[in-house]
Amino acid sequence: MDNSGMPISRIFKKKSIGNRISPVNNILINLFFVVCSVVCIAPILLIIAISFTDEKELLVNGYSFFPSKYSLKAYDYVITAGDTIWRAYGVSILVTLLGTVLSLMVICLYAYPLSRQSFKYRNFFSFFAYFTMIFGGGIVPWYMVYTQLIPIKNTIWVMIVPYLMNAWYMMIMRTFFKTTIHESIIESAKIDGAGEFRIFFVIVLPLCRAGLATIGLFCTLGYWNDWWLPLMFITEYRLYNIQYLMYQTLNSIQYLVSGSAQFSESSKILAELPSESARMAIAVISIGPIVFAYPFFQKYFVKGLTIGAVKG
Amino acid sequence: MTGRRRIFSFFVTVLLMVTIILTGCSGPSTSGGGTETTSGDSGKTQTTEEPAVKLTWYLVGNRQEPDTPKVLAEANKYLKDKLNVTLDLYVFGWGDEYDQKVNTALAAGEPIDIVFTANWAANYNVNAASGYFTELNGFLEKYPAIKQILGEDFLNGSAINGKNYGLPTNKEKVHNWGWLLRKDLVEKYNMDIESIRYKPIEAIEPFLKTIKENEPEITPICIATMDAPFQLLDWDRISDDDVPGALYPDNRDYTIINHFVAPESINLYNLMRDWANKGYIHPDAATMQNQVELMKSGKYFAASQSLKPGKDAEMSASTGIEWVQVDVTRPVMSNRETTGALLAIPRASKNPEKAFLFIELLYTDKYLKNLLNYGIENVHYKKIGDNVIELIDPANSGYNPGHGWKFGDQFKDYLMSNEDPQKWEKFLKFNEEGLVLNSLGFVFDKTNVETQISSCKNVVQAYYKQLFTGAVEVEPTVEQFAKELKAAGVDELIAEMQRQYDEWRNSK
Repeated sequence: MDNSGMPISRIFKKKSIGNRISPVNNILINLFFVVCSVVCIAPILLIIAISFTDEKELLVNGYSFFPSKYSLKAYDYVITAGDTIWRAYGVSILVTLLGTVLSLMVICLYAYPLSRQSFKYRNFFSFFAYFTMIFGGGIVPWYMVYTQLIPIKNTIWVMIVPYLMNAWYMMIMRTFFKTTIHESIIESAKIDGAGEFRIFFVIVLPLCRAGLATIGLFCTLGYWNDWWLPLMFITEYRLYNIQYLMYQTLNSIQYLVSGSAQFSESSKILAELPSESARMAIAVISIGPIVFAYPFFQKYFVKGLTIGAVKG
Repeated sequence: MTGRRRIFSFFVTVLLMVTIILTGCSGPSTSGGGTETTSGDSGKTQTTEEPAVKLTWYLVGNRQEPDTPKVLAEANKYLKDKLNVTLDLYVFGWGDEYDQKVNTALAAGEPIDIVFTANWAANYNVNAASGYFTELNGFLEKYPAIKQILGEDFLNGSAINGKNYGLPTNKEKVHNWGWLLRKDLVEKYNMDIESIRYKPIEAIEPFLKTIKENEPEITPICIATMDAPFQLLDWDRISDDDVPGALYPDNRDYTIINHFVAPESINLYNLMRDWANKGYIHPDAATMQNQVELMKSGKYFAASQSLKPGKDAEMSASTGIEWVQVDVTRPVMSNRETTGALLAIPRASKNPEKAFLFIELLYTDKYLKNLLNYGIENVHYKKIGDNVIELIDPANSGYNPGHGWKFGDQFKDYLMSNEDPQKWEKFLKFNEEGLVLNSLGFVFDKTNVETQISSCKNVVQAYYKQLFTGAVEVEPTVEQFAKELKAAGVDELIAEMQRQYDEWRNSK
């Protein structure tokens, strides 16, 4: 270990001296990314701060990172608002877990054969997937597919099935398989008597954990943040997910204050919708699990991002 | 080379196969739908033995109330004997959500039986013109109850080219504009509100002055987006709020003008500029969003609002601050009201007649109307008088959707204990006072001028806030505003409006 470790580290050292960034550039680059991070993190902190602000305070003084009067009332509202929010939360979690697993499976099962040189029709199937990225059927036919051809409207499946296959993720995965799995590994497995399925599940997939984690994270985020499918297909309010619930509230408020809704009752309705801080509390709760999921994926994530780059 | 050709031929074969499968699928299903409809129609002439018909109903609202299943179960028990129907009610959020859901379902031909529609939700005119709604004139002749309740005038106002595609709610049929003033401050400074009732806008100025001088914490006027004193001019708009083109609201002539740069509007901008300079308007008013939220904060004295009898009590209840209302404009009956809340029967409905009969019950049956509006007696509300009720658990009610004005005959609704017991009588009187505008029933068809409308909207959106809140010098801004509107094609837009309006008038 020691013997082989030394020269490599020496090589790296030498290289890094040659490529060292000048201190000025270093500071500038760091500064740039500090600014980027602040721009990303500040709004989230602000939302959290608002959700803990006293409602009256909010109306009088507006938003502030350090409210002069704290209050837990918004969370009290969210928790006691009945089971609507918790049920929606449950739906979101279920859809995300189930969706991610199924979607990963479908994507991998499509991508893996395309990565194999020995698969005869791989060009056609690549094109078939690629085609869907450029051309779509339009919204009404798409809607009819899930309401009439496959009647899954108003079920949990309608929030999963439309996103199962994603051509773009499939292509990333295919490239990943191609670059990580050398043909000779498969050959040697074959010689040892493994069948195609065994090779795929026991040898190929474990070697591709970084790629799986990357695509898995994309899928998780996609499913968790989705409100579009419930908007289109869910009419049963027991199946609303958390993002849709939030979309519904925010959208209603935005519409009612926009002034285009000047029917005589709009002001009365507005007064009945959740208060500013309560909305922020819902937002804070809805980012919860994703924030925890991220570090879990992260160790694979960086590796996954570099796929396709030339590796030394 | 051969490989590529083989792939291509394979692709073509698959394509063919898919087409065959798809046509094979759609073929039987459409014809199946057709036979179903006819069997449903012929079944209707027979009586009760057939299974109950399910009616699907889409409504707009805050949310689906948690106790909806309970209320529907109760309603279904009642409807079973009456019409032999069961009800399936869905409520979707305001704005985009409702539009998206309903418009897609209508376009896909889903068999929904009743939808809520209006000039601001699941656009009534557009959907009717696209042929998604069933024409109801036949039913209205056959079952005259609704016609008698609504009156010919109002019903005709919601018709498109003489054809009714929707049934408007029987509620306030006119509107007017005025001020809501803080009651405690009005009393503290002994203001005579009668002195500004039905007077020009500037009559309120002495009040504002008093507040400005004596209450440093309070901003005299509350303005947010379109909720501004500009509305007190009550232009009879031809299209949306932010589209130029309107008539004077007093039937003085038939000429459509660009009301954003009309002399009256410019006078108002000048007045606002003056008020802003005197500090009556919040310096950041141009960027404020939600008038009701602002009113709740207790830092404002006056707000311009659309009024009706009992509006002050309603707003006091919802903002937690006592208000008193002062009318400024005279009540008028315009298209805003006639197409403000309607129920329509989509063309794809398999039981349009049953749906119509159900809608009729909403106009004639007091029990059903109140059940859908307030829930079940002694579960969600209790009666404390003949026509007066109280919610059992107002803060955490399982069913309090506020549906009253969305369908049927609102005058059949119970009144809440905090409402004026004379509310419905006052409404009826209010309705009678209203001036019927010449443009009532005229529907502007946007198709020829879509581009002009959207570019004009952009211009209006860029200018109106500054002008409405007095944030900028009026003269140069209006000049620039008018110039940009011209470039955006406002003249063609107004000409098109005028042409359609004249045509409509001549055909009447």
